[in-house]
Formats: sequence, C-alpha cells, structure tokens
Amino acid sequence: MTQLDQAFAALADPTRREIVVRLARGEASVSDLVGHFSLTQPTISSHLKVLESAGLISRRKVAQLRPCKLVPERLKSVTDWLEQVQEIWEGNYKRLDALLAELKQAEKKDRRK
Amino acid sequence: MKPAEASLPSDTEVLVKRSFDAPVRLVWRAYMEPDLMRRWCGGPPGWSMPVCEMDMRVGGKYRWRWRSDEHGQEFGFTGEVLEVTPHAKIVHTQIFDAGNLGVSMGGEPSIITVTFQETNGITTVTTTIRFASKADRDAAFATGMTDGMETNYKVLDGVLGEM
Repeated sequence: MTQLDQAFAALADPTRREIVVRLARGEASVSDLVGHFSLTQPTISSHLKVLESAGLISRRKVAQLRPCKLVPERLKSVTDWLEQVQEIWEGNYKRLDALLAELKQAEKKDRRK
Repeated sequence: MKPAEASLPSDTEVLVKRSFDAPVRLVWRAYMEPDLMRRWCGGPPGWSMPVCEMDMRVGGKYRWRWRSDEHGQEFGFTGEVLEVTPHAKIVHTQIFDAGNLGVSMGGEPSIITVTFQETNGITTVTTTIRFASKADRDAAFATGMTDGMETNYKVLDGVLGEM
C-alpha cells in the first residue's frame, strides 16, 4: 500500500478523523486523547499507529509521553483532492439549482392555467 | 443551499452530498431526462455535452461525452443501469472514457449509487462512487491532482470542518 492509499484508509474511520481534527488544534499526548475521547488507551494507541504509518501524524520521543502532531502536508494531499471533487460537483449543482428554479416556476404557471 | 460535501466513507468510496430547494419529482426529472441533464451536467463555461444518451431502465445503457469548445479535448463516461426506484434511488456502473485527454482512471467500472430524499420540499441527493479497487481510486485521485493544480488552497481548519 502506498502512503496515499494508507492516508485514505486512515481517514475513512470517523474516530481517526476526529483525532486528526483534535490534532489540528495542537500537539497532544496519548493520555490527552484518552481523556478527550473517553476511549481506552489501547484503542487510541491503535488508531494513532494507523495515522502514523499513513504519514498523517508524527510523534516526538519525549520520555514516555510521545506527543502526537499532525503532518499537514500529508493531510493536505487528501483534502485538496476532496476539495477538487467538491468544486467540480458544486459547479454542476449550481446549474442544477437554476434549472430546478425554472422547473418550479413552470409548474406554477401550469397550475394557474 | 450549503455547497456540496465530499467525504470518504471507506477506502474505495467517495461520497458527495448536496440539498436542493425543490421537490424530489423535479430533481428526479433533472437526472432522468437527457435534455434537462445536459443543461446542468454540461460542464463549466467553455464546455459542451455533444453526447448525452440515456436509457434509464434496468439494463439500459447511457453515454455521456464532454467537449472543450476551445481546445477540442473530449472525455466521457458510459455505463449500464443496475437498479431504479423512481424518486428514490438509481444505481449504475460507470466506465471512464478518456477520449483524447491522455489520462487513465482505471479500467474496471465503478458503481454509482444516487439516492434522493425529500423533506419539506428540500431534496437531498447523496452520490456514492464505489471504485472497483483502491488502485482505481488512486488513479482517479491522480487525475484530480493534475487537473486541479491551480485550485486555491483553503485553510486547513476550514477543510477539516467539512470532513
């Protein structure tokens, strides 16, 4: 699996997405995260392992704390892609909004006849 | 209406969700009738949709092709309808037809599921694209990356808020 592959897989899990959102606000240790999510330490640790091997977070070695930090570049490659998907679809959907408004108007006219 | 939201429900799927200020019977028509479809799916200004053939019955085929009027680039999608529940759901296969773009999005068909749900006159459309494999999703990923290099970058937090 490529790292990009792993990043997609890692972000498909809602808890891991929440961990990423939490880390976007700043570095946190495992115990910070355990407290924040009310999950067990092994559960948090296994999620962190997935995020780390996907290159989405990095961990410093400070005694036994090993605080976790987001690696924004990696996340950005995924979010950029999602954003592009959103933009392309939104372009179509804006035109659909206009078309639907027109169809609604036409229905109203028909009813008045 | 809030802009479209894209997310990754699994490692082979992409989900796009959007609500429309219209009853489902009109949204459904916009998806089923080629003349209407062409008007909103015809691509951004400068693009047209020279081919928009659709037989939206189970087992029916469709063929869409877009063309850049200025550069003559063409690409499209083809596929077969697998399931139709009027005003509620359509499932179809989708094969990328690279036309003359010179890119690949994987060979195996993806499965597109579109669901429609109306609440108080607002219709929410949810589209799930399920790629045949992770490799195909990555190929689509690579295509998006090349095409959209000029896309403006948003603040990381803002993007995260949408995930």
